[in-house]
Amino acid sequence: MDGTSRTPTLTLPQAGGGNGKVRLGVQSNKKTIAFLFAMPLLGIMALFEIAPLLQIAWNSLHDADGQMTWTNYAEILGSRFQRKSFETSIIISVGSALFGIAVGLPIANTLRTMPVRLQQTVLTYANIGSNFTGFPLAFAFIIMFGMSGSFTLLLVKAGIVDTLNIYSTGGLVLVYAYLQVQLGVLLLFPALGAITADIEEMATMVGASRLKFWWRIGLPILAPSLIGSFILLFANAMGTYATAYALVGLNANLVTLRIGELAAGDVYSDPQLADTLATLLILVLVVPVIVEQTLLRRRRK
Amino acid sequence: MSRRGHRAQIVVVGLFVVLQVLPVLAVALNAFAGEWAGTVLPEELTWRWAAQIFADPRFIEALRNSLLISFGAMTVSALVTIPAVLAGHCYLPSLDRWLGALVILPYAVPGIALALGLMRIYSGQYGVQLNGTPWVLIFGYVPLGASFYYLPIKNNLRAVPVQEIIEAGHLVGAGDLAIMRRVILPAVMRGVVVGLVMNFALAISEFVYANLLVGGFYPTLQIFMNVLRQGSGHLTSVVVTVYFVVVWILSTAVVAVMAKREA
Repeated sequence: MDGTSRTPTLTLPQAGGGNGKVRLGVQSNKKTIAFLFAMPLLGIMALFEIAPLLQIAWNSLHDADGQMTWTNYAEILGSRFQRKSFETSIIISVGSALFGIAVGLPIANTLRTMPVRLQQTVLTYANIGSNFTGFPLAFAFIIMFGMSGSFTLLLVKAGIVDTLNIYSTGGLVLVYAYLQVQLGVLLLFPALGAITADIEEMATMVGASRLKFWWRIGLPILAPSLIGSFILLFANAMGTYATAYALVGLNANLVTLRIGELAAGDVYSDPQLADTLATLLILVLVVPVIVEQTLLRRRRK
Repeated sequence: MSRRGHRAQIVVVGLFVVLQVLPVLAVALNAFAGEWAGTVLPEELTWRWAAQIFADPRFIEALRNSLLISFGAMTVSALVTIPAVLAGHCYLPSLDRWLGALVILPYAVPGIALALGLMRIYSGQYGVQLNGTPWVLIFGYVPLGASFYYLPIKNNLRAVPVQEIIEAGHLVGAGDLAIMRRVILPAVMRGVVVGLVMNFALAISEFVYANLLVGGFYPTLQIFMNVLRQGSGHLTSVVVTVYFVVVWILSTAVVAVMAKREA
């Protein structure tokens, strides 16, 4: 809502005295005060969100002596090992994001038909539960699916598997799938508000089946939200460090684990390469967001 | 809705809830399990591990550190973010658009990249040494948690005719600050409460910043868990369970508060 355009509609004689100039002065004064209230947050964001990103981007373009160079990028793009880390991260992230949407959408849709109180309770816990990542989550999975975990024993007894190795890429996929479904439900639930009762009623009136309804009407309406959610889920998986670190240590070849290793590792420490890898990771994540936003804006026009 | 359809719905949502709760139960069970090897459920339950952990000064220190950092980060975030969101929404639409982008940025930018940047800036190269102290976490968590206030507050404000309220307030001679405090802030209180808990939960769950920037200098619960993992799984389970209980108590309090407000 635009505050300035509304003020002149207030034409009571005693308020503002009818003098447009004074009124404007008061307005801009208020804006300055409002801005002062926003300053602390903006300052902290500049120092603890923007500056760190600029710093690593700058570092990625310089060598240890501060000379401008492209060699950091050349080294990473030329290294099969580092390229492979991107490949692995991207495959796991795309796969788990699609899984999160495919499973999260029906759950969110079902939740929508429940009583409002129940919806809110489930969503509040799920929201807070979405912080349940990293070590505690990995540890819980180790207890359930580790060498002598309850579920491993059950699965072995049932003859479904012979052995289960949770400390592996397969284990990572399992934990990521869990994370993504949880987040997927949270992201998709509000989006489903776009499918109103009217739309569904109308579809039933013209005799569309459930399947046909979703295929022809539901999914197209949701498409922008689905794409947006997919991008966020993709970013969520690409950026996962703590969970992967807790589960497989540095053994899996994921970008985030390589960054952590290069940043703080005792043996392979290389700050320049770490910063370059991090910058590349951000580019991989930010480019889809920009493309999506541009497309969305064009669609709106 | 048919009876069968209804039952299917309950199963789907029930499954989702079970999925959320199951890992927590597994860890809690392990925290109180005596011998637990080769069987699906533990053979005996014991307080032994819990007693051992609560007698460990490292645990008490980590718990204290985590609570201090989480409450600290929550307080600082709330104090700086809420005024900024209200100022943007009510007076500065162009700032509001920027805030909207800035609070979402941490969703797209991974924590490890931000942590790396913070490591480079606050290790004394620029004359400021925050790394190794809790301050880098308290301030560093502010941008990460800003969306927890921004999104629910904006949601609440969408239903409030802010400009009309401000104008009406002026008519009865109220100043803008009073209008903000007496009318607008109570209208967004629900969003604020949700934000506070989410913010706390984030701070007490965060590992990447804590590990890379502070580590052993000011160990948090998350760091302590990682140190313990080399030892007995039962002891680690106790620590993880304590973490769950802290977060669970808070969330439940919030759910209760929200339910009460609705009634």
